[in-house]
Amino acid sequence: MKFTPIRASLISVAIAASFAVAIPANADETCNSPYTASLIKGQEDYVHVWTLGVKGMGDESDKLVTVDVNPASKDYGKVISSVTVGGRGEAHHTGFSDDRKYLWAGRLDDNKIFIFDIGTNPAKPKLVQTIADFTQKTGYVGPHTFYALPGRMMVQALSNDKDHGGRTGLVVYNNKGEFVEKYDMPTGKHGDVMADGYGYDIGINPQKNALLTSSFTGWNNYMMDFGKMVKDADAMKHFGNTMVMWDLKSMKPQKVMHVAGAPLEIRWSLKEGDNWAYTATALTSKLVLVKQDDKGEWQAKEVGTVGDPSKVPLPVDISITADAKGLWVNTFLDGTTRYFDISDPEAPKQVYQKVIGSHVNMVSQSWDGKRVYYTTSLLGNWDKKGADDEQFLKLFHWDGKALTEKFSLDFYKLKLGRAHHMKFSAKTVQAAALSDKPQMSLAQNR
Amino acid sequence: MISRRCCSKMPGNPCRALALALAALFAACSEVPATPAQAPAEMSAIAVPLGLPPMPYPAGNVPTAERVELGRKLFFDRRLSFNGTMSCGMCHVPDHGFTSNELRMSIGNEGATVRRNAPTVLNVGYHTSLFHDGRDRELETQAWGPFLANNEMANPSMGHVIDKLRSLPDYGGMFERAFGGRGPSADTVGQAIASYERSLVSGNSRFDRFRYGGDAGALSAQEQRGFAVFSGKGRCATCHLVGDTSALFSDFRFYNTGIGWVRGLPPSTVHVQLTPDYSTELTEKEILPISETVPNDVGRFEITLDPDDRWAYKTPTLRNVALTAPYMHDGSLSTLEEVVEFYDKGGAGAPEQSPLIVPLALSAEEKADLVSFLKTLNGEHETHVREGLQQSSYVSTGSHRY
Ligand code: HEC
Ligand code: HEC
Repeated sequence: MKFTPIRASLISVAIAASFAVAIPANADETCNSPYTASLIKGQEDYVHVWTLGVKGMGDESDKLVTVDVNPASKDYGKVISSVTVGGRGEAHHTGFSDDRKYLWAGRLDDNKIFIFDIGTNPAKPKLVQTIADFTQKTGYVGPHTFYALPGRMMVQALSNDKDHGGRTGLVVYNNKGEFVEKYDMPTGKHGDVMADGYGYDIGINPQKNALLTSSFTGWNNYMMDFGKMVKDADAMKHFGNTMVMWDLKSMKPQKVMHVAGAPLEIRWSLKEGDNWAYTATALTSKLVLVKQDDKGEWQAKEVGTVGDPSKVPLPVDISITADAKGLWVNTFLDGTTRYFDISDPEAPKQVYQKVIGSHVNMVSQSWDGKRVYYTTSLLGNWDKKGADDEQFLKLFHWDGKALTEKFSLDFYKLKLGRAHHMKFSAKTVQAAALSDKPQMSLAQNR
Repeated sequence: MISRRCCSKMPGNPCRALALALAALFAACSEVPATPAQAPAEMSAIAVPLGLPPMPYPAGNVPTAERVELGRKLFFDRRLSFNGTMSCGMCHVPDHGFTSNELRMSIGNEGATVRRNAPTVLNVGYHTSLFHDGRDRELETQAWGPFLANNEMANPSMGHVIDKLRSLPDYGGMFERAFGGRGPSADTVGQAIASYERSLVSGNSRFDRFRYGGDAGALSAQEQRGFAVFSGKGRCATCHLVGDTSALFSDFRFYNTGIGWVRGLPPSTVHVQLTPDYSTELTEKEILPISETVPNDVGRFEITLDPDDRWAYKTPTLRNVALTAPYMHDGSLSTLEEVVEFYDKGGAGAPEQSPLIVPLALSAEEKADLVSFLKTLNGEHETHVREGLQQSSYVSTGSHRY
């Protein structure tokens, strides 16, 4: 399979230009793009859950579900809005535009991207735009990560329209939802490492001009029944084994690092001046630190193990605390969340664990780390079956020693579907962000 | 008791075989006009490379250049699946030998399980029956299977596909030009795709040049020894036929090699290779919570309901076999070495297994020779791959902003 060569294009220049004025602040609730405005450092009012429709349940369609999570509200712990987008297309991840007024939500199967207006009334998100030609424009399949850039949205895809394998690329849109440019993930030999061309997450450290990407697998695998895939030795050969460090301004790959076993979520330390990020490998259950060595070169190294790797607990979402001292790691198959003390990032220590459900995928924490939200769904055809197929949103309070459940919303009982990605919003963003120094206004393009 | 298993019935009837032979003759020398009213403007018989017999086609569907081109467009058009994600070419991938190398059994609409391996469509125009179980005999009708199957392209009806084709501006006039004024219909869609599939010939392999081209040096000594094993001690040519003037490497009959029986055995632990350097064993109990109910597969029996046909599958062609891994109807064997090992042991040892599959007692060298021979069967079809990829990577550039 051949891909068009990366264009050293005008857009890189455009991106570089917009970064020149961008003084990146710290990220907000610990996993959003650093270019996202308006941190919610106080109490979040709403959690938006991108939810997969289930055949035989309600309208069977994917939807954005909004839950009131402010304990002072009469609707605390209740679903207050649900916007159906129509059909099932493997709803997966979402990301805010840089001004935090819009939420982009992608589907990994039919490649549609939905843009919701969250800014006008976060209690009632409104679908304002649908991008239906992602694949026609790019040749990629599976718009996965949505990562705000100044005035733009960067999207990491997972697959392609030629063989539904793992080769894919990055796409840049402007805030109007117009396609701007695409960049193939590197392939072939880079140094000693064979680049696989796969993609998964995006993590940017603006101070280091560093864009880090990770690698998962193509449509053929992420859409396949999980049990079927595990038994398919040929399918199992097609997981990502690399991470790529890009020069953000030029959008050129700088270094391809060998990280075996599908390195997924990327979390940079948000501390000013820090030069490291964490990821977890899904198949080999390792915590991996990506850090500059003494010579300033990026290196990836295994620093810890999650659970018993021989049982394939499948680390999925991770969430770093704002002070970069703690890391939540969820393992899907045993439904367990684990807290690691990473004060020494070279030597993570697990200090706590708790079973959240029969399976668990996403974990999102408030800025102060006191509230931790969990959802269940990983992928429509990977979630557990039968009685083990629980689907919920749960809120826990974390006092530094233990998690205490505050509410649990059964998404099946409510006929909603599979609960996946979560994002927070606040009634008036300004009020919630009072303590934050005002961010550069980077959203002039809209 | 089970000796009847040797070769189950030939599908199809002699009349059709004759018709095909006649059509084939015409294909080789001149075009057969359909009915004069429908005679297409430009006709082209399919040029057949060394080692292949003339390509048969039904009298009503001359594979003209227009039909082939239209068929190619249909074959790679993802819009023709219900949710726009699947085309025929997503499972029959041009640079995967027109099959799928990266998974054993296909998945289709919304990831739904297809319980069998996608066979190559190279040279499929020669098959006397289609699918692993032979449930269809005409390429013209076969295409509607995947278009409508819930677990493949999931269209709710034929009419839905036809309406869509009528509404897509880029098809404007293509059907009418290819079919003497006839627009999109159940017939013309099937005929165009069938014409494209007939055009997917692949021959003139190194083996063909050796065997049919008088080029004794086209195969190495080892490969020649491998051919000797193939047609002698290995008994492969009993079912994977090699003729005097051409070879399709199949008798298109149905046999129980034992593969289907193995598949039905109670599962043991599963060896899972997680990365090239790291693997683990999982028990069936551990995999159960993440598994759908695995569909059963009784092979040809499902079509004939003849107990003799239980777990019997069609003999596949071996042309391009080095490009079409993984192997067998369920993709359960990943390499040609594993396939040869399987036959050497005498198949899986299923109770109903064909008596033609017996332990072979091949030496290590003979097995290596046989594998090296199988790798000489790659034909020439670069044009099909290139044209297919071009057609599949339809990237619209309409609103690029630079
Ligand atoms: C979801 C994957 C998938 C899609 C999409 C798909 N196929 Fe197939 N194809 C298969 C599989 C699997 C088989 C074998 C099925 C069986 O034997 O039951 C097959 C068998 C065939 C065969 C028979 C080959 C033989 O050796 O007998 C032909 C011809 C074919 N497909 C053509 C098509 C056409 C034309 C389309 C589009 C209209 C299409 N396929 C779409 C997976 C697919
Ligand atoms: C009794 C008839 C018979 C004999 C003898 C036989 N085969 Fe087969 N072969 C088959 C059938 C039937 C299949 C399909 C089985 C299935 O789909 O599960 C097959 C499948 C294969 C495949 C897999 C092709 C693919 O695309 O999946 C290969 C390779 C192959 N045979 C090679 C050989 C070799 C080499 C020998 C000799 C050692 C041999 N066969 C002997 C009937 C036979």
